[in-house]
Amino acid sequence: MSEAQAPLHHRFHLNMGPQHPSTHGVLRVILEMDGEYVLNPQPVLGYGHRMQEKMAEARAWPGFYPNTARMDYAGALHYNHGYCALIERLAGIEVPPRAEYIRVITSELNRIASHLLWYGALLLDLGAFTPILYTFDDREQILDILEDITGSRLTYCYFRAGGVSRDIDDKFVERTRAFITRLRSRFPMLEKLVNGNVIFLKRVEGVGIIDKDMCQRYGATGPVARGAGVPYDVRRAEPYSVYPEFDFEIPVGENGDSLDRFLVRFKEMEQSLRIIEQALDRLPDGPVMAKVPKKLKLSPGDVSFAVEAARGELTYYLISDGTEVPYRMRIRVPSYSNLSVLPELCHGMLLSDLVAAMGSLDLVIPEIDR
Amino acid sequence: MRQTEDVQRAVQAVAVAVTPVEYGQRGYHLLVELENGRVRDFARIMHDQGYFIGFVTAVHVAPAIEVRYQFAHFDRQSRVMGFTTVDAAGAVPTIADIFPGANWHERETRDFYGVVFTGHPNLEPLILPEEDVDLKPLLKSEKNLKDAAAVRWPEPKVAEDTAAAPAAKE
Repeated sequence: MSEAQAPLHHRFHLNMGPQHPSTHGVLRVILEMDGEYVLNPQPVLGYGHRMQEKMAEARAWPGFYPNTARMDYAGALHYNHGYCALIERLAGIEVPPRAEYIRVITSELNRIASHLLWYGALLLDLGAFTPILYTFDDREQILDILEDITGSRLTYCYFRAGGVSRDIDDKFVERTRAFITRLRSRFPMLEKLVNGNVIFLKRVEGVGIIDKDMCQRYGATGPVARGAGVPYDVRRAEPYSVYPEFDFEIPVGENGDSLDRFLVRFKEMEQSLRIIEQALDRLPDGPVMAKVPKKLKLSPGDVSFAVEAARGELTYYLISDGTEVPYRMRIRVPSYSNLSVLPELCHGMLLSDLVAAMGSLDLVIPEIDR
Repeated sequence: MRQTEDVQRAVQAVAVAVTPVEYGQRGYHLLVELENGRVRDFARIMHDQGYFIGFVTAVHVAPAIEVRYQFAHFDRQSRVMGFTTVDAAGAVPTIADIFPGANWHERETRDFYGVVFTGHPNLEPLILPEEDVDLKPLLKSEKNLKDAAAVRWPEPKVAEDTAAAPAAKE
């Protein structure tokens, strides 16, 4: 039924969240409804806002390390990475090759963990309970490996400007290799269980179509843009760390629907495994930390650094006044821009499709409310 | 690099100054200084050239708050940083109709700095609760406020020395 035809008594407001199972965090969406159809979904942000940017401007720059992990709890190492690389760029610090390799290996493990979490959670939103049990089992293996090396299971504070806080050992390499084999053996099972499931396909195919123009206007990046057929990946587009040394593909979708975003993330896990494999094979010896003075004043001026986080482009933008304390810190997080497409994306959609479309955006709310 | 030159030529017409910057040092390619009234023209060029919106934000410096815009491109390695200062009324034209993605960024900047985006379709608080609308948490205290020049990237060392030398003789 079109908007014009709808009798007014079918119109009502529906409140979703801030404590709703499918928002996966404290996000509230006010839905203007017409019967079962969504006319205007307006996200309400700020329930969990901690003012990370203010915190960054209120302490010497090393004091912000732990904060970086508390924005995107599902892909914390990418946030570590962006921040350290930003300081390195501004201060002109050279990172030892071994440290860069360790960063890539652990970052990619984290990316897989994040995608596995999303995979299970999306299917849970769509009413399939079993897959999350499998993906959590696999994700648990990564958390164990990373816990051994970083000391935390989720909110990692592992990277430092100049390298990483501690070296990896043979046990780490061995366990990571075992994990690669394990996860590869699980993909066919997941594909059989989920990817070809007709009920699942009916829920996501053709639902929530995002095209390239929309990505450009909203600044949507990561798997959302790649699902729309845009092969934009910061690891390729603006190569950082040692990513140029590895051979990997950038999976893209064709239709830009929820299914394409789903498949892009699914294929990305295999690509991450490939990167980890190559990095383990070529892991150089040497120090894992450059010599960086304990107290380091940041030279004046502005500097930007973008990394490919699990959800898209993460940009740290720092303006320094020449002291140890950043004068201005702007953090551009991918989920924020990805969520902002929602009102346009879901106009005229069935309520149950909104859940599928929103799930396919892979939102992490503490990242939006940073 | 040629592609950056193209966009440089395009924005030249609407900008006060366009400066190519060293990507390796600063993480972007082009710094564009804009007059307050030309922000929309700049955004339109960015849109027509196929750039996507990175972020909109502000920085509190003396004498006036600066609003900054970052754009990047899906198909080529080019990151553009535009900036302007707010006018006497603390306002700057909105770009939310050209880049709907700027809508939330502008609302957030309004929350944190009190910058008014003229023509914005819905300049309601995004993050702050309604009772704290005028909190402006990211404004600097008088003690901490710096001049715009103090947070600029310094001129290359060589240029500075040659410029300083004749002055010293006088």
